[in-house]
Amino acid sequence: MKSIVIDPITRLEGHGKIHLFIKDDGELANCYFQVPELRGFEAFCVGRPVEELCRITTRICGVCPDAHHMASAKAIDAVFGAEIPSAAHKLRNLLYNGFYASDHTAHFYVLAGPDFICGPDAPPGERNILGVIAKVGLDAGKKVIAQRANGQRVIEIIGGKKVHPVTALPGGMSKRISKEEQEELIKIGENMVEFAKFSIQIVNDVVLANEEYVDMILSDTYAHKTYNIGLVDENNKVNFYDGKVRVTDPDGKEHCKYEPKDYLEYLAEHVEPYSYLKYPYLKKVGWKGFVDGVDSGVFKATPLSRLNVSDGMATPLAQAEYERFYETLAGDSSGKTPVHGTLATHWARVVELVYSCEAVLELAKDDEITSDHIFDPPKGIVGEGVGVVEAPRGNLTHHYKTDENGIVTEANLIVGTTNNNAAISMSIKRAAEGLIKKGTEITQGTLNRIEMAFRAYDPCFGCATHSLAGEMPLEVIVHDAESGEVIQTAQQNC
Amino acid sequence: MLKPILILCLGNEIVSDDGFGVEIARRLTDVGNIPESVEVVFAPIAGFALLDLLAGRAKVLIVDTIRTGNAAPGTLHKFAAGVLTPSKNLTTSHQISLPTALEFGRQLGLDMPDDIDVIAVEAEDLETVSEQLTPSVQAAVDQAIRFVWDWISRNATEEITHAN
Repeated sequence: MKSIVIDPITRLEGHGKIHLFIKDDGELANCYFQVPELRGFEAFCVGRPVEELCRITTRICGVCPDAHHMASAKAIDAVFGAEIPSAAHKLRNLLYNGFYASDHTAHFYVLAGPDFICGPDAPPGERNILGVIAKVGLDAGKKVIAQRANGQRVIEIIGGKKVHPVTALPGGMSKRISKEEQEELIKIGENMVEFAKFSIQIVNDVVLANEEYVDMILSDTYAHKTYNIGLVDENNKVNFYDGKVRVTDPDGKEHCKYEPKDYLEYLAEHVEPYSYLKYPYLKKVGWKGFVDGVDSGVFKATPLSRLNVSDGMATPLAQAEYERFYETLAGDSSGKTPVHGTLATHWARVVELVYSCEAVLELAKDDEITSDHIFDPPKGIVGEGVGVVEAPRGNLTHHYKTDENGIVTEANLIVGTTNNNAAISMSIKRAAEGLIKKGTEITQGTLNRIEMAFRAYDPCFGCATHSLAGEMPLEVIVHDAESGEVIQTAQQNC
Repeated sequence: MLKPILILCLGNEIVSDDGFGVEIARRLTDVGNIPESVEVVFAPIAGFALLDLLAGRAKVLIVDTIRTGNAAPGTLHKFAAGVLTPSKNLTTSHQISLPTALEFGRQLGLDMPDDIDVIAVEAEDLETVSEQLTPSVQAAVDQAIRFVWDWISRNATEEITHAN
């Protein structure tokens, strides 16, 4: 048996790795995906006042601090039994959609863009944001930068600081919004909606106009028929900040819908000896291994999952895109037939981007956001709370327990990448099976196509830290497992 | 008015040795006497977000943590950012590197600094959630502070009154 290791090594030792085990006849025997985890987070939280956690947990992730701030704030509200005023709810929702508008933009243009705009087989030196700019022009790059800056400005106005917001507190928000700030937010919202329209055009011109890319999205190489989970509002429309968790089966039928606080009744975690990261699965279906289908408890929690569990989008442009998405990929615009192609996640992300831009404008125009009533002091302490939001890369749960003084005794987090751990492994395996056959020479293009399978999930690798050089070097070593002899090596960024 | 010279301390104050940058920033700002032309910023960020901080500056010193595996923990690496090359392969949205961000900014016509120097400490622990630096990295703080003041005195546009 041969073993191929795709080993992304940043300065964080023990970083994410992909192991591909190849039989002598060239067929893929198995595939493991490993990610590192930070040690001691729970111990770090225990003994601290729980209200500090919504500021500390923003440090867990350099990419989605805002998601942790919101999930944490909701969990802390619950610990104190606090109901937040309507205006505070709208402010948090507005901040969160501003964050989404920025984060989804970065992902689509910087990460997915190179694959679709430059092409998956483009040389690595061209297959990056600089290659994207070379193809679509500097104006597009300037629009991306402006959109990102607009998202950051929404966070700064409502969250008090760029990048790492600080204004959510148990019972509401700590910072009021002035009329002038509301006017600025409305202008930002208008610009964001224009950017959303531009992004729809890019999907049309670059992805849908290219038959090869549509085939790639629809191909079995990148497909998985699993359960899906995501938050929905009272009308079963996609919601990032609030609602119930809805789970649908591989055929699109509702499996269950539950209050976030009840997550432990529905989710369990499988452990494998080779990975620190657990594999959440649906408790009532059970763990049947890394397999597709209605009998396997594996689920996905991604932008595509959120679309699959919902009955539509709450804003008009996004709803039109939702219908076009399902009409194109499933032949049914209603969304009742789920889409399973992993690469369709990128288009799903654009549908959500459109929604977030429209939501920013809609909420910015709501005069209630300038209300003085943004905080109701908590009256007591419950001692336990769960907060769930949709992080851009998947469902995010914070669960805290405290003593009678609000001092943390337990903290548990399930982050988006953990939710998708089993599905990521399966997608990599499926991609590798479709691409690696007996005698296949592993080229840069092959590596990239395998990477594309997990890139669609935008997994967080021990994301509390950044990386100075920032690249993710890849080293791929093909071993003959019996002799241990190195047969082939391929490197990127090493 | 944006200050032309930036000391950009990167890192994460709750991940052991990744708190090196914030420790340097704290020491610099506690002492005071930072020249008018110089701004000291601690930022737990990377990638695109760096563009906002770098654009419009004349000279930048980045203080960070690194793991080369080729040096003892606490070793200070000093180099120009130009020795790093733009990323050839983006795998997650974390992977927008400093040189890629710089090149991207330049292509967009932003006024990016010509000179970026880096001082990075070889880390021992970047996995444990803790507010403490490991002893070897802690021991490098004083030497790094001296290097930063020396860098400031060579690059600030005014006379330096600090005697460190």
